[in-house]
Amino acid sequence: MAPNHSNENGSIGISLHGVTAREQIFSFSVEDAPWSQAIRSDDPTAKFALPVDSEHRAKVFKPLSFAKPHMRAFHLGWISFFTCFISTFAAAPLVPVIRDNLDLTKTDIGNAGVASVSGAIFSRLAMGAVCDLLGARYGTAFSLMLSAPAVFSMSFVADAGSYLAVRFMIGFCLATFVSCQYWTSVMFTGKIIGLVNGCAGGWGDMGGGVTQLLMPMVFHVIKLTGATPFTAWRFAFFIPGFLQIIMGILVLTLGQDLPDGNLSTLQKSGQVSKDKFSKVFWFAVKNYRTWILFVLYGFSMGVELTINNVISGYFYDRFNLTLHTAGIVAASFGMANFFARPFGGYASDVAARLFGMRGRLWTLWILQTVGALFCIWLGRASSLPIAILAMMLFSVGTQAACGALFGVAPFVSRRSLGLISGLTGAGGNFGSGVTQLVFFSSSRFSTAEGLSLMGVMAVVCTIPVAFIHFPQWGSMFLRPSQHEERSKEEHYYGGEWTEEEKSLGLHEGSIKFAENSRSERGRKAVLADIPTPETGSPAHV
Amino acid sequence: MAVQTFLFASLIIFSSIESNHGATEVSLFTNLENSLEVTAKPTRVGVVWEAGKDIVRITWMLKSSAKVNDDAAFKTVEVKLCYAPISQVDRPWRKTHNELSRDRSCPHKIVSKPYDKIPQSLNWTVDRETPTGTYFIRAYGTDVNGYEVAYGQSSDAEKTTNLFSVEGISGRHTSLDIASICFSVFSFGSLLVFLVKEKRKAKLQQRK
Repeated sequence: MAPNHSNENGSIGISLHGVTAREQIFSFSVEDAPWSQAIRSDDPTAKFALPVDSEHRAKVFKPLSFAKPHMRAFHLGWISFFTCFISTFAAAPLVPVIRDNLDLTKTDIGNAGVASVSGAIFSRLAMGAVCDLLGARYGTAFSLMLSAPAVFSMSFVADAGSYLAVRFMIGFCLATFVSCQYWTSVMFTGKIIGLVNGCAGGWGDMGGGVTQLLMPMVFHVIKLTGATPFTAWRFAFFIPGFLQIIMGILVLTLGQDLPDGNLSTLQKSGQVSKDKFSKVFWFAVKNYRTWILFVLYGFSMGVELTINNVISGYFYDRFNLTLHTAGIVAASFGMANFFARPFGGYASDVAARLFGMRGRLWTLWILQTVGALFCIWLGRASSLPIAILAMMLFSVGTQAACGALFGVAPFVSRRSLGLISGLTGAGGNFGSGVTQLVFFSSSRFSTAEGLSLMGVMAVVCTIPVAFIHFPQWGSMFLRPSQHEERSKEEHYYGGEWTEEEKSLGLHEGSIKFAENSRSERGRKAVLADIPTPETGSPAHV
Repeated sequence: MAVQTFLFASLIIFSSIESNHGATEVSLFTNLENSLEVTAKPTRVGVVWEAGKDIVRITWMLKSSAKVNDDAAFKTVEVKLCYAPISQVDRPWRKTHNELSRDRSCPHKIVSKPYDKIPQSLNWTVDRETPTGTYFIRAYGTDVNGYEVAYGQSSDAEKTTNLFSVEGISGRHTSLDIASICFSVFSFGSLLVFLVKEKRKAKLQQRK
């Protein structure tokens, strides 16, 4: 029998459901070992600080606790992701110094910005596989410790080409987004995973803001010791490098892949439904909604990543602020993530409770469009207070849209959930690369014009959300299908399996998920009285 | 919903219309008299100057062609290092602007001296923090309030002659390079050590 993960009864507001939630379904016959918390299933709570479900995933989220293994995994995960954001965007607030040292042109700077987000397109896709094979711990540690040398190598950079190459290599570490969300998904139960992932994602993204404060400060301190600016900025990169190494060691020593121990020491007996990658890939790619989300995230997270690269220099150049002050202003953009992204997920959940999936889609469209409109305003603002106000409103809108998008993503597919989240994540980086290339890498547009035009492009590219249609729940403008069969969630999720696979009972997880997803009908879910249909599969073995 | 969207949109539109501040007196470059003569003679001729090392002899004085009392308003002379057009290409943060308060082409201050009727000169060592680029030297004559009233430069009006190149320091240090290599090796190394240790533990575990 396939034990399932979403075994809590009642509807779930699964907002911000994370990445690659490939539930590790083990039957727990684990050998006793001092370092693996091997316990019997009949004594689930004995060794855990938090209440757990039958798979030993925490049922409660206590952000102030560091208890093994759940909360510890959460904190290690989000702080690792946070550190990688610091490293990836560490150059941005120091660009005014770097551009003089290396004699860079605007094109060089723009191209390096594109490079800094492009590497992660591929590394995020690969990280899903790494987490599956080696566990989230090693995935995170690889990301941190293999890219730390790239951070240190800023001390060797002498021209535009090497600068671009180093920023490209540092950018690979943004794959920690995937490993972080994967880690929390195996540690926390489905009911609260939305909030947990939203916090992990949002707090990690804050790194893009903190770096705008941290790097100018470190630079200033190093200059005080007597170094010239052109040496000080290189030395400043040692700080993010150290942070990465320290976090890598902490993750390896304190972290744990799964609630019951580490992947390599657990015996994987009785593991079921290990799906075929080719099938999972095909169903992700075939679903048009995946690509709409790819574009959408490209213009919410993508815009956010681009702003992390350009906003500090913008305030420095346009409003004549000092490096330090420009950093503070730029930092407040990224710091808004602390509450904005979880807020977006929460808003999506509330909308779903009232209006179902249609509410989620409208919430996503409204948040992202409003954010983009404020981006247009930011580019046009010619006084500092107005620019800061526009930037703050823009940041809340866009970051909340990121959170709201991951309120929709989990429902696009059950079979390919992990891959779709990975593809969506890659879409964010892709969007950032495109916007930086088009608007901020040449002298065709001033930075102010680029900001406004990027906002316009974001408004236009948010319109496709109107085309996301679920037969069982409807879309922004269309009601759900009235068709007998197609109006059922089971039909949608069952459609990802062939008849042969259904006859083997491989799709049961999807059916369970379909039942639980009836909450996406909004208030009508309470009224609906749809019994679980017979799936035609043989009796459960 | 539609009304609210419309009101919101109009709020956005009206806020973005730039307000017109009252016009204030601004110094424009085109209003300045070119009444100063500035020359720059390096100690080493025909080579790229090195930041922090090479010395230039800069002289400035009132042009012989200047009218009498042209210099009545001068109080101080500010000598600055300015970017030549070639160093401004694709670099909007070095843009020349007619409004002097917004001009970014002369960011490096060399010296500021009170004006004297006799020709003045200075042996200036190129500042160590000067970035790589092509430059010329300009002197502004400023009045009591600090506003520029006249200028002179070592190059011609189109900024094509008498330009000189400076090579900035790289900022790289051998000690920094070595530290960087050490920490990188440490990073790789500790990861490998952990991998090996855990593989060994797993093997031992399986044997039990």
